[in-house]
Amino acid sequence: MIRSVAPLPRWLFLALMLAGSALITWTSLGYFDSEELPPFVIEKLQQSLRFEALWMAALRVHVAAAVVTFPVCLLLMTRPLQRRPVWHRWIGRLTGTLVLFALVPSGVVLAFEAKGGRAVSAGFLLSALIVGWGIVHGVITARRRDLVSHQRAMRHVVAQMSVAVTSRTLMFVLDSRGVDPAVAYVVALWVPVLGSALVAELVSSRFIWNRARSLVVDRSVRAPRSRREVFP
Amino acid sequence: MKFFPKPAWFVVVLCLVPSLAQADEASLAAWTQKTVRDALIKPLAQRESRSFSRERPPPRERRVRVLATTALTDKSGKEFVPFAIDDRFGGDTWNQNVIEGCLYRGTGYLFVKIGEDYRPSAFLLGKNVGAVKGVCVAAPPPAKS
Repeated sequence: MIRSVAPLPRWLFLALMLAGSALITWTSLGYFDSEELPPFVIEKLQQSLRFEALWMAALRVHVAAAVVTFPVCLLLMTRPLQRRPVWHRWIGRLTGTLVLFALVPSGVVLAFEAKGGRAVSAGFLLSALIVGWGIVHGVITARRRDLVSHQRAMRHVVAQMSVAVTSRTLMFVLDSRGVDPAVAYVVALWVPVLGSALVAELVSSRFIWNRARSLVVDRSVRAPRSRREVFP
Repeated sequence: MKFFPKPAWFVVVLCLVPSLAQADEASLAAWTQKTVRDALIKPLAQRESRSFSRERPPPRERRVRVLATTALTDKSGKEFVPFAIDDRFGGDTWNQNVIEGCLYRGTGYLFVKIGEDYRPSAFLLGKNVGAVKGVCVAAPPPAKS
């Protein structure tokens, strides 16, 4: 029973994130229209942007990279793709390159001009730092065949990518409660950034895994040990 | 009884001048408010909806403030009225000067301030239109000779 229910939160998370990613993709199509300006761009241009052309280019690169890498990273977290090491490795390499050389640098450029001031800039930069660290550490540990550390690093990457969905959802909730948009924007960034890092770390921690394993052992329902130890 | 028409008329005319000016100012402000409301605030409200994006949520209410009692004149001699739009969300606090702009008398052209420049108000409705030089800037008073 526990074995059959155990993957449920994981699949629920993946399904929600894929749905959120699809929704963000749909609402981001306007960024590539040269005639029409989306409200987010209008809002930014109303402020004095120091480097307007650079900001627009960074926005387009960031959106395009995120639209591709986020769903692919989610798929890389699934068992079917993890059971095909060659596919997993090559898709992982391509996605990692795109994240490291397109998503993170463009995100850093956007972070410096983020609305909400330094608090928001710091939040986006922290998220970018975690993603950058996660990819680099994930590649190093994968090359060492240290799959437990590789998984931990990749969980942090996906967790920070999921901020795109959780942050927007939180903004929706705070707006419906009548919270001032300026305050809501800061809260809806920092809570998901820190919360995602915490959840990724908790899921990766031995404490959670050992506890879950002891529950399974208690009920004498044992899974093949090697498989579960490689992919907890 | 002798009637002195000239001084009497002067008195009547002098009494009317301020009220005519006040009426003109009032009608200018009302016209500006109505035009900005119809040409900018209503289309903005129709266009805005809460989407799954990082944009600012649509405000609960907007108001127009006319910033000059009389029309100003730009370098090309055209008259315009500067205005500002405030908005508010859940509370009672108004966010002032969220949109700044000007409305041209006669033509009814609307411009809004984007960064340091002024662009046609269609920009706020999503049209990628560029800045127009020299609009909404009052010409300096003529130098005394």
